[in-house]
Amino acid sequence: MPVVAAAPSRIRLLDPLVVNQIAAGEVVERPSSVVKELVENAIDAGAARIVVEMERGGIELVRVTDDGAGIEPDDLQLAIAQHATSKIRSSHDLERVATMGFRGEALASIASVSRLTLRSRTRAHGGAVAISVEGTHTEGVHPESGPPGTQVTVRNLFFNTPARRKFLRTEATEGGRCAAVVEEIALAFPAVGFEFRSDGRLTLDLPPNQDPRARALSVLGKELEPELLEVSDDGTASGAGVTLWGLAGRPSLARATTQAQHIYVNGRAVRDKTIQHAVKEAYRGLIEPGRHPAVLLMIDIDPASVDVNVHPAKAEVRFRDPGVIHSAVLHGLRRALTRADLTPSVSGSWGTSGSSPTASPWAGEWGRAVLPGSGGGASSDLPRGKSASDRAFIDRVQTGDSPGPPSRFDYQAVRQALDAAASAPGGAPPEPGELAQPPRRADRIIQVHNSYVVTEDEEGMVIIDQHALHERAMFEKLLSRIASGDLESQRLLAPVVVRATARQLERLQDLAPVSKRIGLVLEPIGPSEVAVQAFPTFLFDRGVSEGAFVEWLLDRACEESFVPNSEEALHEVLDMMACKAAIKAGHALGEQELAELLSMRDRIERSSNCPHGRPTSIRLSIRELDRRFGRS
Amino acid sequence: MKVICDRAGLLDAVNLVAAVVPVRSPSPQLSCVRLEASKGKAGSDLHLTGTDAETSLQFSLAQCDAQKAGLVVVPAEKLRQIIQATDTDPTLTLESDSDACLITGANSRFKVFGYPASDFPKTLPFAEALAQDKPRTTFVHSAGGLLGLIHRTSFATARESSRYAINGVLLRRDGKKLEMAATDGRRLALARTTVKSAASTESSPSSCIIPSKALNLFTRLALDPEEGVRVAITERRVYFAFGVDITGKDEARAPRAVLSSALVEGTFPPYEDVIPKDQDKKAVIARDAFAGAVRRAAILTNEESRGVRMAFSGKSKRLKISSRAPEMGEAEIEVDLTSFDGDDIEISFNPAFIVDALKVMDQEQVTFELKASNKPGLMRSESDFVYVVMPVNLPT
Repeated sequence: MPVVAAAPSRIRLLDPLVVNQIAAGEVVERPSSVVKELVENAIDAGAARIVVEMERGGIELVRVTDDGAGIEPDDLQLAIAQHATSKIRSSHDLERVATMGFRGEALASIASVSRLTLRSRTRAHGGAVAISVEGTHTEGVHPESGPPGTQVTVRNLFFNTPARRKFLRTEATEGGRCAAVVEEIALAFPAVGFEFRSDGRLTLDLPPNQDPRARALSVLGKELEPELLEVSDDGTASGAGVTLWGLAGRPSLARATTQAQHIYVNGRAVRDKTIQHAVKEAYRGLIEPGRHPAVLLMIDIDPASVDVNVHPAKAEVRFRDPGVIHSAVLHGLRRALTRADLTPSVSGSWGTSGSSPTASPWAGEWGRAVLPGSGGGASSDLPRGKSASDRAFIDRVQTGDSPGPPSRFDYQAVRQALDAAASAPGGAPPEPGELAQPPRRADRIIQVHNSYVVTEDEEGMVIIDQHALHERAMFEKLLSRIASGDLESQRLLAPVVVRATARQLERLQDLAPVSKRIGLVLEPIGPSEVAVQAFPTFLFDRGVSEGAFVEWLLDRACEESFVPNSEEALHEVLDMMACKAAIKAGHALGEQELAELLSMRDRIERSSNCPHGRPTSIRLSIRELDRRFGRS
Repeated sequence: MKVICDRAGLLDAVNLVAAVVPVRSPSPQLSCVRLEASKGKAGSDLHLTGTDAETSLQFSLAQCDAQKAGLVVVPAEKLRQIIQATDTDPTLTLESDSDACLITGANSRFKVFGYPASDFPKTLPFAEALAQDKPRTTFVHSAGGLLGLIHRTSFATARESSRYAINGVLLRRDGKKLEMAATDGRRLALARTTVKSAASTESSPSSCIIPSKALNLFTRLALDPEEGVRVAITERRVYFAFGVDITGKDEARAPRAVLSSALVEGTFPPYEDVIPKDQDKKAVIARDAFAGAVRRAAILTNEESRGVRMAFSGKSKRLKISSRAPEMGEAEIEVDLTSFDGDDIEISFNPAFIVDALKVMDQEQVTFELKASNKPGLMRSESDFVYVVMPVNLPT
């Protein structure tokens, strides 16, 4: 007979405090969660100004005061009850949630783990009323004085759940997170004024009725203005109810983490794989793999097309059609980046130093880890001593004026152009000015900053983006090669082991057809690892790391926009191979390599006429040079 | 310092030392050579030292007459150019003049500004260096023997692999057994020899990973295969002292050159595990005929289709090697097999990997052992060289 546990447990209904405390575990993790819930409530109440105060990193006190609609005195008691909300009425409303909160659990959850006072006054009433809660103990509703709006005061967070309190970080860290939450929300609601006070000190002061751009610059730092490119959708996704606005940081602002990515869907900050992937793709070839661009994106979408009821903190959303979002973001960013390429690098805004009282302390936002002045100081990656225009200049010099990324799905246009060239007798009719190119002299090729190649032709001088051109050439090569059969595959002496999630392992089978075509052999080993048994010779020869490539492929396969076994997926994978295999910007080229690269240009030059692709080369004609030097 | 040197000997020495020195360096002192003249009972010596922080080389030039001891630190490239250009002078005189160096030939006189000697990274003489940085293992072996190990392995190292450890060559000493191994993830070259010097005092095997740059310098320094080289592996560095007593008994004899290098950090793959033990097909082939056939087939391969297909037939005792490059053409070469045991097999390899190995195999007949078309091929010569090569899957 197996031994039975000594005291058999009986199943019993939990008392409401425990229920709320458990719920609080999901909603209220730390002071910043309190700030988030309360500020969102204030926004939902239609506030024009919101004041957030905190003491000792929010552990001692969080107080959010708004001038919104307020709560009817009779409803005050109900406001702190579980699943009580004014925001939705039936499950039907869940389909089209337009407010920030809707679950009706925030106040009850916070109240269960703190000493909470709720004071509110509607405009119709002469005086405010208040209610205080401490754990289970509720003091009755009593009148109080106060202006219209609502004020929620949360003291001694987690006073009755010491285990949670123990998990809090230092006051500086928790305070920094609170500040980040306020900034995050403030970015999405430029019409609402925000004040943030930490231990009595005003650290953020945002006036109401700003436009999105002004708000973004107030929060992120005005001196970043020259580093930011404005992003908007091209209207193609508006049929699907999607509009997009944002700011894209130049590649020089890229960070090691995704912390500098502020992505909003219907005003709610989200972390979404589809969007993050689109961002990464848009910047591909512009920043090193493993780094993440700095972007601010505001996506508006018909609430019926997005499910926000996935995660208690609402950080995750689910789109009905992720493909539409992916393409809107990808193309919006690409257009912004490509357009930037076309502006002359020496003219344009050199940036004005931030004069707003809030601008300078927040200048390091895109990578800041610590609240400025909270002990750690601002830890911006940008050289502090230099002015914004100096930095902008350095960036221009270092990166060139950021070229846009190669367009991924323009292969059809590339093909068409090449086919047209091939089918025309004696090749395509040459463009004017391309009739007779003088033979290139090796001594007239120079490489600039190991990234661009400058040479001359009959028209004048030609500047070539070495990575873009090489990637295009590699892609062409792969495309024509794969038409005649699967790619060659080199078996490995010992498998390279890559960690994989359960979901990635599930997708292995879907990947099999693409893997086979490119000569990649993957085998699951155990519950969380994949062994790379064979790898495409093409990538091997070019020193591409097996692990990094397979990780990328597995990540990509898990995204909903990836349709396995489609031509599009194959082309995407080939393009990735071409990108990884191509010469990188910053790579020094020998004389022979330069000559080879230029000969590739002759072969694929016409593809640069493709309307979607960015240019692989730019020509500066003699006429233009003459004009600029005042010779004409 | 004042020293009269044989120009040719000096040029060789400066060329070697300058090969270590970085051409461009954030601190100009690092782009220098340190010259120190000494006058001892054994005779005159000019000691040249160059370093790039990773690798350093100390070289002693005996073909000189030191009239005044002393030292000077001068830019390596300028010194090299001057010595190279004064090609009509049989001898050159080097003199220090505070921080500058005067170089005087028959009709020419140069003054090159240098740096204070104290700015130059400190490099200790060999014996002192080892006294401070205790070796895990040390032994003496002939330069030729070590060169043989390097020659038969270093070609298989990875170039710029993200798996950092395989960018170097593993050196492993286990008692009297000495081996080097190199791999790039697709093939493995393993060469073995026996240490002739006195039995080691340490009981457990020691190993280290040596960067390719250091081994390239080794091959430039190893001119006399009979010369004794003391190898010392410490926690973080490896030292090669050239010109020591080959029997290892005369500890006092000063080396003519000491090459030292930081080790590659990381773990070398467990290479013994990838050497297949159950190959059931064995071909014996004339090395040169095999290499020639592979080279010819390789002509019609290209970047996207590297592999050549090998069809071994036991009945006809023939090997048929074929290649095909889309839009280019195809080739078919036949070679006789000296012998073949086992079932017929077709397998494809990167031809460069096969030729690389054949180039370093001494025997006229080589064995090539196989198992299946997706399993490794194994080449051996005697017991001192093992080469494992993975096949490619050619598109059908």
